[in-house]
Amino acid sequence: MAGPGQVHLLLYTFDPAYVLRTLPELWAGLRLTLAISAIGIAGSLVVGLAGGALCAARVPIVGSTVGLYVELFRNTPLIVQLFFLYFGLPELHVTLSAFTAGWLGLVLWGGAYNVENFRAGFGAVNRGYQEAARALGMGALATFLSVVLPIGLRISIPSLTNTCISVLKNSSYLIAISLPELTTTAINIVSLSFRVFEMFGAIAIVYLALVWALSGMMAVVERRLALPEGA
Amino acid sequence: MPGWALPVARNMAGGLEATMLLSVVTAIAAMLAGVVLGSLATVRSPLVTVPIRAYVELWRGLPIIVTLFFIFFMLPAVGIRLEAFYAALIGLTLWTSANCAEIVRGAVRSIPRGQHLAAAALGLTWVGTMRHVILPQAVLRMLPPLVSLLANLVQSTALAAIIGVLELTQSAQRQIARLTILGDSHALEILGAVMLVYFLLCLPLTRVSARLERGLAR
Repeated sequence: MAGPGQVHLLLYTFDPAYVLRTLPELWAGLRLTLAISAIGIAGSLVVGLAGGALCAARVPIVGSTVGLYVELFRNTPLIVQLFFLYFGLPELHVTLSAFTAGWLGLVLWGGAYNVENFRAGFGAVNRGYQEAARALGMGALATFLSVVLPIGLRISIPSLTNTCISVLKNSSYLIAISLPELTTTAINIVSLSFRVFEMFGAIAIVYLALVWALSGMMAVVERRLALPEGA
Repeated sequence: MPGWALPVARNMAGGLEATMLLSVVTAIAAMLAGVVLGSLATVRSPLVTVPIRAYVELWRGLPIIVTLFFIFFMLPAVGIRLEAFYAALIGLTLWTSANCAEIVRGAVRSIPRGQHLAAAALGLTWVGTMRHVILPQAVLRMLPPLVSLLANLVQSTALAAIIGVLELTQSAQRQIARLTILGDSHALEILGAVMLVYFLLCLPLTRVSARLERGLAR
């Protein structure tokens, strides 16, 4: 059956109009992807900031506990962490919905990377500034809040950007726990219709656009916050 | 060890083997492709660099799982029958080689231009310049991100479970499914063990990468 705009590709007939027919379903998936990515990014930044600050404070046991959390989540696959939250925890009588396990998994995973990003940023702040602040009579907390945080945050932005983009892309892993986000929706459509190229073309464009939009947004933030040379 | 654990461990050992095989073959293929693409990405002709840029942006920008599914579903759609393992191998290689190319490009560009000029003055061809002058120097800068990429790759092979490759994660899932039918899934213990195995595989890599990085910074 030939339709407008159809292209033959080896044994395959490309039908761009098919994407239009599935648009409502894809849109619902995209909304879920956006929602869970937003929660994941915001949560992982909060976890990262808190963890990075705790590491910077050099409290003996707290610092190494945070370090253990970071190592554990950075050295195991996110997908196994998701399985653990979704299939493992019910054994301890903690049953999470796919949505809760999903955002929690993204927050914990991205948080581990962001702790490292913030820690590196705080560590790169010129020690002379901190000594100067202390010499002016500022306390440890005041020094952190008005000297280390504002400068360290700026230093961390490029690596924070990378982690935020990864959280967005990795929301697609939630197919593993059957959360009907964009990838899951597209795969479900593909397994019913075998419209492989149309579906993957559509979600590839969406993911690439989201990734570029997010990195563009972060670049604007970075430029806005940029310090004068030499700071 | 309780009675249920032994067959599970035996199965997962087979899965671990597949994980290692997938990681090693992908790493080698991606490394070869990455060095070639990354080196070529530093030449001046946009005819060469633009397609490489597109390749890198595409496979780095897409979620790996989308790439894996695409390869897995696309090949049969165009009439190519391939086991899931090979689909995973291709998909992971696309992602890893794109990242590898980016690392190589960055390292090559960090070598001062004078080195290129000196090599050219000595009559070396572009390939000779890369092979004997630039890449040996760039290797030091590449090493920390490449080792970290390898850790990332080992973790990413777990995604092959989603398209049904019987690697570590998938073997664990099948054991959980089997034990669930028998009454108790032991999901917590099995998934905990899976995490431990990945942790033991990846921790040395991330540690080595961090140490190399610190060594370079000094």
